[in-house]
Amino acid sequence: MSAEANKRKNLGFLIVFVVLTVLCWCPIGYGRYGEVDLIMGMPSWAFVLLVIGALLFILEWVYLFKTDLALYDRDVAEIVDALKKIDMEDTRS
Amino acid sequence: MIAVIIITSLCFVSVFISYVAFRKGFTKSADDYFVAGSSLGYFVLIFSLLASFLSAFSMFGMSSFGYRLGYGSLYVLTANLVPLGFLWYFMHKKTFLLGRARKWMTMGAPFGERYGTPMKIILVLVVLVASVPYVVAQIQGIGVMLEAMSDGIISFRLGLFFVPFFIAIYLMMGGMKGAAWVNAIQGVFFSIMVFVLFFFVMMKNGGFVPTMELVMAKHPNLFQIGWAGGKVWSYPMIFGMASAMALGCVCFPQPYMHAYSSRSVRGLKAMFLSFGGICLFVITMPTLIGVAGNVIVPGLKGVEADKIYGLVAAATMPDWLAALAVAGGFTAAMSTVNGLVFGNAVNLSLDVVKTIRPQTQPGEYITLARIFVAIIMAVCVWIAWNPTTPVAELSVIAFGTVAVTFFSLWGAYYWKRATAKGAILSTLSGVFMNVLFFVIGGKNMVLFPQKFMFQLNGFLASFIIAGIVFFVASWLTTPGKIEEKSLKLFFHPMLEK
Repeated sequence: MSAEANKRKNLGFLIVFVVLTVLCWCPIGYGRYGEVDLIMGMPSWAFVLLVIGALLFILEWVYLFKTDLALYDRDVAEIVDALKKIDMEDTRS
Repeated sequence: MIAVIIITSLCFVSVFISYVAFRKGFTKSADDYFVAGSSLGYFVLIFSLLASFLSAFSMFGMSSFGYRLGYGSLYVLTANLVPLGFLWYFMHKKTFLLGRARKWMTMGAPFGERYGTPMKIILVLVVLVASVPYVVAQIQGIGVMLEAMSDGIISFRLGLFFVPFFIAIYLMMGGMKGAAWVNAIQGVFFSIMVFVLFFFVMMKNGGFVPTMELVMAKHPNLFQIGWAGGKVWSYPMIFGMASAMALGCVCFPQPYMHAYSSRSVRGLKAMFLSFGGICLFVITMPTLIGVAGNVIVPGLKGVEADKIYGLVAAATMPDWLAALAVAGGFTAAMSTVNGLVFGNAVNLSLDVVKTIRPQTQPGEYITLARIFVAIIMAVCVWIAWNPTTPVAELSVIAFGTVAVTFFSLWGAYYWKRATAKGAILSTLSGVFMNVLFFVIGGKNMVLFPQKFMFQLNGFLASFIIAGIVFFVASWLTTPGKIEEKSLKLFFHPMLEK
């Protein structure tokens, strides 16, 4: 797959992650002050929150393990070897 | 008394596991002692990271939060932590790769190589200062619960020494590998016990839905957001707490130490992903147990509400099972103290002492780390002596303070224009603002939205200020020799993947 396509997919995932993160951090769009209905014994906004959390978890799993966008063990040795070759003596503090 | 016996047994088991790690020679070299020789598989990683964060706060503190403040507490330590799956991955992917290549062992190492020694030292001190309230919260939670479960046989102050004594022993003996194995076993144990307690508490009133309907009839506000005239669980309050906890998690030492200790990328990704997913289930339970506690043990206020976890266990379970359930909470507290104290001791030993006295031998670092473990533990017990702030609030303050280092970390890995001066000024100004808010308005100013700050709480205001200072100061200053040269490492084309 081309680097450009990967960039687009990465950006897509990032946007979805950010939107779902905002929803996990604040009940914008699904919460309201005052009296509330119950769903399965929970306030409706709390139920929606848990569903959003579960959805984000599934998307993260897809990103990390089911796409070629994340890092895999087969890549590590090559990357680490390349990094080891860099002479950093002058930069040590 | 059964509770005391079970908890003491758990302490001895933990010490024994660490002793095995010690005897097997897992602590001989600095690499083994500090980062377990980068050998941890994903089962240990997942449960060790989980246990090193989930704590007295997540068991006793969250049930106390649920009891006092209701369902809004779900935004403090459950769904709000699911984003850590990708946040940790993006922020610590380079920690893992560069850590392998550069043999890093501390969280100060990336900051030292990217920004230089002053930033490394400042970071270590900031993390230490931020860790103290969190460790104090654990020790305080242990003391409160021991007193409640032993019917006063073990007083609060005696309890402050009881468990920390064991933790200090097994940390000093077992190093990272011993600590990770103890954490993992404790993590599995408390995850199981919280489910068992949840089941018993809900069955007391005929199941989950009937229990919640009962609570709602008596305390409808616990099911609402924006109650008490819009003050409790307002949108700004929710956002402030949720983001403080998640961003703080990114910046504490545990993800760094576990990234260095991971054997594989698969383990690293599984660890980061699982954390939020498990929190979504495991921490929702004590929160809901706390909500249900209102119809089982009504009338607790303030610090007293920290006992609700143990009290509902005693009210709904046979004595021995209640003791096991509370022991689960203890193990959660122990593993967090373990993870934080160890991380800070390693930072002090390798980042501070090594900088001041480069000729120190590897064996001496291990001895020094062990001494720092004892000192940090003693200081935290001393601070916990007179508890004034509930466990949950103490923990949120700690997470909020450490979160101000977020920009420096992001800049180190993803912004070539970041400068040492920007990182230092940003971190110092963020911490200064947090301390200033705390001194001026106490914990309420740090935790709750303030009108004069556009409804931000002290943490969010400090965090935003730290971010602005980071970008402005970096733009206004020129990258020095260290920053320039670090670019070829931190922005190597191979790290693009």
